[in-house]
Order: sequence, then C-alpha cells, then structure tokens
Amino acid sequence: MADSAATADVVSATGSTEGGFLLSTLQSMVNWCRKNSVWPLPLGLSCCGIEFMATACSRYDMSRFGMEVARFSPRQADLLLVAGTLTYKMAQVMTRLYDQMAEPRWVIAMGACASSGGMFRSYPVVQGIDEFIPVDFYIPGCPPRPDAVLNCLLQLQKKIERDRSYRLALDAGDAPVAKGGLVAVSGRGEMAAPALAQAADRYVEGARPKAGVETGTPPVRQR
Amino acid sequence: MSSIGYTNDAPPTVKTAVAYALSALGARWCDYAATGAAPRFRATPAALLEKARWVEAFATLKKEHGFDLLLDHSAVDYPDRTPRFTVVAVVENSTTHDVLLLKTRVADGEACPSLTPLFRSADWAERETYDMFGIPFEGHPELTRIYMPQDYDGWPLRKDFPMEGHLKFRD
Repeated sequence: MADSAATADVVSATGSTEGGFLLSTLQSMVNWCRKNSVWPLPLGLSCCGIEFMATACSRYDMSRFGMEVARFSPRQADLLLVAGTLTYKMAQVMTRLYDQMAEPRWVIAMGACASSGGMFRSYPVVQGIDEFIPVDFYIPGCPPRPDAVLNCLLQLQKKIERDRSYRLALDAGDAPVAKGGLVAVSGRGEMAAPALAQAADRYVEGARPKAGVETGTPPVRQR
Repeated sequence: MSSIGYTNDAPPTVKTAVAYALSALGARWCDYAATGAAPRFRATPAALLEKARWVEAFATLKKEHGFDLLLDHSAVDYPDRTPRFTVVAVVENSTTHDVLLLKTRVADGEACPSLTPLFRSADWAERETYDMFGIPFEGHPELTRIYMPQDYDGWPLRKDFPMEGHLKFRD
C-alpha cells in the first residue's frame, strides 16, 4: 500500500497495518487496481510497433508499471495501443477490435501516423484514428521513443486514477454498483473525514465527460 | 495527344516472326525516336493494339512465340486523350528473354478484355488496375477491389482524384 495514489484516499484507522483496517472508497480502490494492471492490446501497424516492443522489453520494461501482459485478444485487454499507419482497410479491423473490448477501455494513438496520418497524406491512409474511435492519448514522434511511450502510460495511469464513473453512476441513480460498497466509514467517521471530504471535492456533479475525451489536461508532450 | 510516334515497322530487335504476327493483328509499333528520350529507357519494343485484338495477340504470342511470362499489367490515365486510358502489359519469352510491351486504349467506363484466362498472374494485376483506375476487365473470374476496402468511393490513381483531403469514405 505504499502507492501514493491509493494512499491519498486510504486512511489506516489504527495507524498500523497489523490487525487494523483501511478506509477508502470503492472507486479509489478499483482505480488503484485498474491502473496497476493495464493489459495492452498492441495493434502494431508499422515502425511504431517496433518501438512498442522495445518499450515492453527489458531495457525499458513496461512491467515496472504492471503493463507487461500484452494480449492479442480484445476480450482480454483494456488498452488499445494503435502503433503505426492505419489504412482505411485496416480501420475496419481496428474498429472491430475496439468494439470487442470490454469496458473500461482506453485508447492510445502512438506516433504521428496514428495521430494524424503523419506524412502519408494520401488516399489509403486514415488521417488520425480518431476518425473512427475515441482516443485518450496521442503520442507525438515518428516513431516515438520508448521514453515517450512510458510517459504516456504513466499519464494513462493518472487518468485511470481520476476515474469517477462509479460515483457518477450512483448519482445518476442507475448504479450497477452496490451502494454499501462506496463508503465504508460508519462508526469511525472522525478519522476518515478528511479523506472523504477530499474525495467528495473531486466528485463534481455533472455528466461524465464524453468517452475518451481528456478534459482539462493537455496532450502528452515529449520532453 | 500522344507524344510517341507510331509506325508500321517493328524495331530491329523484334524477331521477324513476332513482328509479322503482331502486324497481322493490326499492331502499330512505337517510334520512340520522336520523343527524344535516351534509348536506354526505351529499350523495350512496344506496340499499340486495337482493343478487339488484345486477347488474341497475347494468345498468339504465348502459344506460338513462347511469350509465356506476364511481367507486368497496369494502366495509365491520360485525361486529355480519347479514349482516356492506356492499358499496358509486358510479356517475356522465358527461353530467349525477349521482352515485349503491348498497349491498348479504353474509354472511361468501357471494359477491357481480361488476360486472366491466358495468364494466371494477370488476375491480381487486373484487380489492382480495376481498384486504382476503375477499368473493368471483361472475363475476369473475380473482379473486386484488391487494396482498398470494397466500399471505398473513387478511383485513387485517376488524375482527377484529389491529391489529399479525400474524406468521402467514412465508416
């Protein structure tokens, strides 16, 4: 539980882990699990695919962030990483893969081609995969260095951490989530109060942002 | 119109029997001297055929003169010309390594006779030509787009196809 993100919402009621218990929200616990267990589906379409392989291999080592389990079945993946030049013919395949992925799912457009068509301003090439599916992050570069990919994956973790879909679903009244699971503080309210207040601040009333659109955060930039 | 001159006389590199057979089918030989191009780029003897004699010419070359290898099969779009498209095919005699280039002209929307019954290698080449130029090939066993999606709108290698910004195709 040394992870900084989870501890922001987690309060140890006794001050020690031995024999104690933790207070948190279901949302933050789920987010913490999800962000450290991202299963990417790499759609390697050209040279960006090679850079992704480098990112996954030992020198850069994506597994440091719990992302090393690349799956080539959309049913088992929650991050679609489109790495390379997408043609219109392949776009049909990509759209199908995206449709087959279970929620929650995220999409990264890796490199200039996936983001905007890159240098291929011509008839077979899709001018940015967001013509077809919503994109969470765009990585610049041709191809991007593994550092940039890792940076993007860290940004993705931050985004997952901020997810508030459970709370919004509860507020909207169509909760698929057991209501008791959200707040587990009765009886020990005093100690949990600061964390709860902090958490409540983040859950602003309103519609969930459009799927895949990152609001208020600039695109990932290369240093 | 065409910058290439045409004559009834075959270039000296063409074997007499071949020259005679093609001339009998109404072929006119390209005279590249008029273009001023360096000869090394114009080394392949080329002949223009009527569309009606297209398949017959290749059948004769293949069966009687040993031109059994179809090297290339494509088309060129000349928007100013009538008929608009020039279909080009290159055949080789795999024994003597003589190479011949034959062309014919088809109008927009007009079908060109297919060479696929003669050469299996013409199959995909003709599908590609259809895909890029929209020239249908009569007698082709399965004339569908080969590169672009089946519902793609337009013929990308036509000269009037926009260089960029073609966004009519949306899923």
